[in-house]
Amino acid sequence: MSTETTTSTTTATGTKLGTPIQGVTLYSFTRAFHGREYDLEGLMRKVAAEGYGPGLEIIGFSSFRGFPKIEPAFAGEFNDLVDELGLVRTSLAVNADIGIHRDRLLNQDELIEYMTRQIEAASVLGFPIARVQISITPDSMEALVPVAEKYGVTLALEVHADQYASHPRILALRDRYEKVGSPLLGFTMDWGATTVGFAPSLIEAYRRRGASEELLGKVVDLWNGYYQQGPPADQQEHGQRFGSFIGLAAQNGRPDLGIDFGINGTGLFGPARVDDWLEIMPWVRHVHGKFFGIDENGEEPSVPVRDLITLLVENGYSGAVSSEYEGWHWNNWQSPFDIIRGEQAVQRSAAENAGSRMITDAAEARRALDNHLATAHA
Amino acid sequence: MIPDRIIEQGTLTTSGGRTAVEVRLPWYRALPGSCISGAKLTIDGQAVPEDTLRWGMNGKEFTFAELSDNTDEWWFPLDSAILSGDVELGDDQAEHTVDVDLILYIPYIITDAGTLHIEEHDSKTMKAVSA
Repeated sequence: MSTETTTSTTTATGTKLGTPIQGVTLYSFTRAFHGREYDLEGLMRKVAAEGYGPGLEIIGFSSFRGFPKIEPAFAGEFNDLVDELGLVRTSLAVNADIGIHRDRLLNQDELIEYMTRQIEAASVLGFPIARVQISITPDSMEALVPVAEKYGVTLALEVHADQYASHPRILALRDRYEKVGSPLLGFTMDWGATTVGFAPSLIEAYRRRGASEELLGKVVDLWNGYYQQGPPADQQEHGQRFGSFIGLAAQNGRPDLGIDFGINGTGLFGPARVDDWLEIMPWVRHVHGKFFGIDENGEEPSVPVRDLITLLVENGYSGAVSSEYEGWHWNNWQSPFDIIRGEQAVQRSAAENAGSRMITDAAEARRALDNHLATAHA
Repeated sequence: MIPDRIIEQGTLTTSGGRTAVEVRLPWYRALPGSCISGAKLTIDGQAVPEDTLRWGMNGKEFTFAELSDNTDEWWFPLDSAILSGDVELGDDQAEHTVDVDLILYIPYIITDAGTLHIEEHDSKTMKAVSA
């Protein structure tokens, strides 16, 4: 039972409104980090100074040299820096590299060992959540429960396009979670599963690569058609859609763009509806506020940020939202720092419009996250 | 992902019949040697003989066969690897066109066709420095 008293507002049905925690994943700044403009400490200082937190998410294999091995001295320095900056560790994104050997996939025992080392790293670095990935089966998630318990880390499997909440693989996980009953098993909601359009900034990037307006119009029309149909029922339909983007590029004289259209059209811009998340909402432990850009009106044109925040607030979600800017892949003409600032303003505005607010104070965020994880569905 | 960053400008060196260039990982996270499937180095349109190519990483040098089962050495996103091979460059001030192709496995993305691999290419023009 919650003892949190910071918000007393309730919905008509009696659910206490959520107060999501604002935050960011350093993945959003990949181009600046990779380009050696900021090192890890520099980026963390920037996040704190410019108010992109307090929530802080980091990808282990991106930011920590030698990951998942973490030297105690490094962990100490990292923990001191987090405290100095007043940031709040949310999720350590870990990877299920089951294809790490060229000739075979990891077997179950190897995968458990591989994930255990990363979950231990999350604990050593002070992250309460480890984001895990879809290649982990229900059996493996169940097998990881004792590891999660040993290290006190919540495992939040990311629901990412081309999957979506009501996808059979996700429902199988949810049903297993329900059977196992551990409060340490849950999901990371990635907003890319529920977009409403092909990102205009990516269309602009294709334009800069010489794609014709006619072809770009057809790409948008093809995606819009799939949006009307809803998400693919299974992997076979997903494959057919992927192939149709490749075919469109080939038929229009730009076969070089086909795979790019397919990967992005199916893997970044998921066409499920926002209320699809209700299938797994009680198990959502963490959120990736995936987005691609901010337009001249200050809004996200292809991700329904306002609707998603409203959904979270109305369902009592008071965990973290990591703003996850993915437009950096193709947008090399705008500053990610400005774009992320713009998206977080939309989140805060949406939370207020829904009768609540985003938490931006570090101490309050720590309390809210502790409470959110302690009162998990089980 | 970020293929325009693969070749580091101004890092072409040549010495004793071998030529090297520094390359960056065009991906957001570290990958182990086993996921570095192969590379091609082409200077002024001439492909460097494949059997002479070597991959320098973390202060060590590998053939691609040696990398294929190496999960101990990782290519960190901030580090430059050194791709080298047998090719003689004249010691003049000429500009050379350098092309690098990289094939990488992405070990957490498993498709119907197996582990996802990506092929990335970069091309830059620079002078060679005698090492």
